[in-house]
Formats: sequence, C-alpha cells, structure tokens
Amino acid sequence: MKAEFIEPFVGAAFSVLETVTGQKPVRGQLALRTSTFTTQQITIVAGVNGNVEGVALYGMSLATATRIAGAMMASQVDELNDMALSAISELGNMVTGNAITRLSQNGYDVDITPPSVIKGTQVEMSTKIPALVVPINTPFGSIEVNVALAEVAMAAAA
Amino acid sequence: MPKRIMVVDDAMFMRATVKRILEQAGYEVAGEAENGQMAVERYGELRPDAVLMDITMPVMDGISAAKEILKTDPKAVVLMCTALGQQNLVIDAIKAGVKDYIVKPFQPERVLEGVGKALGAA
Repeated sequence: MKAEFIEPFVGAAFSVLETVTGQKPVRGQLALRTSTFTTQQITIVAGVNGNVEGVALYGMSLATATRIAGAMMASQVDELNDMALSAISELGNMVTGNAITRLSQNGYDVDITPPSVIKGTQVEMSTKIPALVVPINTPFGSIEVNVALAEVAMAAAA
Repeated sequence: MPKRIMVVDDAMFMRATVKRILEQAGYEVAGEAENGQMAVERYGELRPDAVLMDITMPVMDGISAAKEILKTDPKAVVLMCTALGQQNLVIDAIKAGVKDYIVKPFQPERVLEGVGKALGAA
C-alpha cells in the first residue's frame, strides 16, 4: 500500500477529533499490519471505492469509545447505547469523509460507504492487502487508524 | 410561526444534534428521515420550509434525493450537510439547486447561518 494513502486519514482523524472533542490528539508510530487480524472491542469500518479501493478501520477499547461518545454528545455516557454507537459511527463517517476529500485534492476520485460498527474482540478481520496503522492518542484513550487501500487499474478508453 | 425544517441523516446522533441546534434557535423540526428515499417521500407529506440533507446514506444518497425533491418542487430549500467536501460534489449539488453545502464536523453557528441565509433568500 502506498504510504501516501494513510496521511489523509491521520490528518482527518486529528482534525475531526479535535473539533468534536475539543482535545488535541498525539500521533503514535506508523506500523504495517498483516492482512488478517483480530478486532479491538470497538471497530468502525468504512469502505472506500473509486480509483482507490479498500477499507478504513478505526479500532478502540469500549472505554475509549464510551468516553469519546460522551464528549461528542456533551453529556455523561455510562454505556455504549444506540445513541452513543451512532455517535461513534458518525465519527468514522466524518474522519473517512474528510480523508477522501483530502485524497480527491491529490487527484483521486473516491467515495465512501456508510460506516458500520463492530462490537467484540473475537472478530477476525481480513483486508485485501496489509494495512498501514497509526495509533492516535487522545485524553479519552487510543484510537488505531488502519488503512488498507490500493489503486484500481482503470480500463483504457476505447 | 417558526420555520419548519426536515432533517435527513442516516445517523441518529446527527439527527439529534442538528435537531437540538435548530430547536434552540427557534426552528421547528417538522420531521426526520434516515435515507434519501424516505426524504423524498416525507418531503411530499410535510412540505417543510427547508431540508438539511446528508449525502452518504443507504438506499438513496442525498444528492439524488435533493435532485428528486427539486424536480417536484423547484422552490424547495435544500442544504447539504455532509462529511464529504469534494469539489465535484459541491459543484454537482449547487448545479442541482442546493442552497448551501455544510461540511461536517461543523460548529452550530455554521448550520444556523446556512439555514438562515437560505430561508432569507427563498
């Protein structure tokens, strides 16, 4: 995977997290992940399609998700109920939407699918290609941004 | 009489957030929809003064829904409210007759400014 694909997602995550929580995140070390891995307690999954295809995954603990949802909702959240899950899902939507806007500024024509949230640590995820991973540390806990994207060869014009 | 707004977003959290912003500013939320198809149907029933519409939604996306609504009611006041900020989408929406394009995450003032201007110009 091209390293240039992850930067828009990290930049978007920083920008969105700071706006919705009011707290500045800190970037961790870039790593490469095998194409099959086990999810964290909460994983937001957003598909990317167009001339770059793949998936963006945002993994975090249940406690982190609950605290971030509380910050987004500006209220005390004790459990990840339907409204809190919707807030976390929307976080994934905003980060991915913001990221593909940045990708489009680099000349890529891409779109996203509505995000899904997976709850549970025993879920085995598989991506077409190994993902690049950047942990983002926030006062609410750490979020792993996983991006597995590849350019799609476009058919030559007739 | 408060102006009546319809809020369209597949995320319950966003509908609740936008509803709170609008109601605190004195607007009435006439109804909600969670996808573009539902928005087109509910627009016909509710005839709101304005529609705040997400783009990335299941069943029918927000740009297609906005075009459908504006085809049946060319005077409809539709504002997009989305995480997608690509230039081609903004141009497509404005060409379709959408009054404003608000990118998430937004500050409440941005939503109120957009709705206020769009209704003022309607």
